[in-house]
Amino acid sequence: MGKDDFAKYPFLNEAGNFIKETYFDLDEFERPEFRHIIEKARKRVEYEVLKGIVCTEFEKYDLELFAFLISLIIIKHINIESITKKYSLFEAMRVEKFLTHDLIYQTNSKKRDLLISKIFHELLDLQIIQFDSQRNIFKMKISDYLSRSTLFHELEWKLINRSVDKGFVYLDVEETVRLVRNELSLLIYNKIKNMKITKIPDQIKLEADSIKHKVIFPTPVQTKNLKFPPCIEHALNQLNKNENLPHSARFLLATYMLFYGKSIDEIINIFKNAPDYNEQITRYQVEHLAGKKGSLIQYSVPSCSKLANENLCFYTHECKGITNPIQFGKKRLQRRND
Amino acid sequence: MGKRDYRDEMIKNETKNINFLQKCFKEYYFNKFKHLESPLDISRREFGFMSFDSKMTRHISFINMGQLNAFLIQNVPAGIYISNSYYDFPTFPINEKRLIGSDLIFDIDLKDLNLPCQKDHTYYICKYCDNISNNLPSSCSVCKSTKIDSTIIPCGICIRNLKNETKKLISFLVTDFGINHKSIYVYFSGNNGFHITALEKDYFNLDSKGRTDLVEYLMGKNFSVTSLGVTQYKNNLKVKIPISGLSYGWRKRISKNMKLFNITNNSLQKYVNRVGGYLLFKKEVENITGKMGVKIDPYVTMDIHRIFRMPGSINSKSGLSKVKCNNLDSFDPFSDACLFEDDRNVDVDVKTRLEFRFKRKKYILDKCSTTVPSSVGIYLVLKNLANLI
Repeated sequence: MGKDDFAKYPFLNEAGNFIKETYFDLDEFERPEFRHIIEKARKRVEYEVLKGIVCTEFEKYDLELFAFLISLIIIKHINIESITKKYSLFEAMRVEKFLTHDLIYQTNSKKRDLLISKIFHELLDLQIIQFDSQRNIFKMKISDYLSRSTLFHELEWKLINRSVDKGFVYLDVEETVRLVRNELSLLIYNKIKNMKITKIPDQIKLEADSIKHKVIFPTPVQTKNLKFPPCIEHALNQLNKNENLPHSARFLLATYMLFYGKSIDEIINIFKNAPDYNEQITRYQVEHLAGKKGSLIQYSVPSCSKLANENLCFYTHECKGITNPIQFGKKRLQRRND
Repeated sequence: MGKRDYRDEMIKNETKNINFLQKCFKEYYFNKFKHLESPLDISRREFGFMSFDSKMTRHISFINMGQLNAFLIQNVPAGIYISNSYYDFPTFPINEKRLIGSDLIFDIDLKDLNLPCQKDHTYYICKYCDNISNNLPSSCSVCKSTKIDSTIIPCGICIRNLKNETKKLISFLVTDFGINHKSIYVYFSGNNGFHITALEKDYFNLDSKGRTDLVEYLMGKNFSVTSLGVTQYKNNLKVKIPISGLSYGWRKRISKNMKLFNITNNSLQKYVNRVGGYLLFKKEVENITGKMGVKIDPYVTMDIHRIFRMPGSINSKSGLSKVKCNNLDSFDPFSDACLFEDDRNVDVDVKTRLEFRFKRKKYILDKCSTTVPSSVGIYLVLKNLANLI
């Protein structure tokens, strides 16, 4: 793999080895000649964390590679869970763009195969096979596909809407790469979490602190005074921690809030804490669930057994006797009245 | 008679029926235990038992078949159930069992086929007075109770349709899901359907969400015409066949059904216009998926913590056993799944006029007391169409 590849895919072991071979020392970043790298890292973090835009700028490989490293240190120093998650997601989206481009335009088949092997096979433990190099079609086992695709909620990711044959799903490059976004994000997140830095250069600290001050925190949804069923409470807590909730949990939360008469805007506000929050998309989806868009049918709150199947049930003794989260308050109230 | 008298009479009959059935079931599990299929990795499976008064006990495990045998003879359950999932701790509550993996399992049941013949052999039984009618009444014509049960005696057409649906499922599993024919096992459920198990390691660890998607695929649900490359934006039709083509899966099935071969964007666009535009094209696709999809009970496959009637055990709704069908075409449930010996006759009070085939013999029974072989007696009592005298 080339040095450019290390810069595009800086989480690869080879990229780490390359940095080690340069005998780089973090203290050197105190020197003014390295200021431009810190500046680049700051911009990258600001773009992704504050503006919510994927940074696809790509200059010289060594500059990019070190800027990535510094940006990780900045995120580590900021030390806010939601920021770490957001940054990881946007970095994954950056990788997604490079990877898609390389898989389409890399004409050297050996280089291409190596890229597939390093990223998909070694790093993500996903066996993809190039099926048609002319049309850039990849195939993967149905089970491998389903274990990832069920995290998406768009109809296009349903197995029925895919090319399926003899145990394999056939995907084009963009679809193949999109499918692993969450895993790439987790990979970067773990890199940040596992970093052990004893001393951060002052200049980096300064930049990190300045970004930290610019972060606007969404107001967490108050759950203390209201008694929600534990499944709802768990979903809200996850959102308050800026976790990327699975579709099924978002569905539960939205249908539950709609059932209890929360307005569309109030519900949208709840989802503001999601790392991939997009107001337009969220509004459409909540309106769809409310029966104001699409099929015009208001969706009902999933049953407890369905939630248990989807690992969204967090049963407590207070749930005894209920079959749907909407019964939670009522049954409790009834028991109290009894 | 008042409601209370009917109730007393029914309790009397029920006690008599249960005593008879318990005796027959005990003999079966004592003499014919070999019919129970020894499950793979028995100690990792959860067992459940239904008693004759319809109480379910779950979260039980056995380390071997001998232990199960002893349990059955001692407790004589009406139904024996086993999980399709494997657990580290099968006796623990569901959230603590620690799932290892689950076999794929499908249920094809008469109730999901909506066959027109079904009404001809469905019986509606009043829960209070046992009065039977052939049409669903709003209330019982004798005691006016609104609590009505129903029971079906499947006919030849029903069985043929169930077999065809089973074959359709197997074809999907082999062609689309790449499951080896030899890894697919078909069982007659013992009542009104078939259970199909696929032992395929690739799908063993698939979670409930993955199984839901798989089920939707089989049933033809949630197909989007966008995946054929047909979209509509602000009333403008747009056709662009996806890069991954239309040669496989549902895309192929649908285009073949529409007799579209060697499709190009142009020919597809012409076809959409010919059928009357985007909405009518969408409607046609929905019809095709509805017709070609397999009619399975989705919840059975999606639920990885479900327990299923154990192969070889007696179905407490019919007295027929859940048996493996090695040759689906020649399989006759009313003969091949009836494993009770007819070493004696029993006297029964038939509740309504009945016509059915059992063990290759045709029975025409009037609403009166009669003597039938014990296996027929068991069948009719469990179908709630006769009482033991």
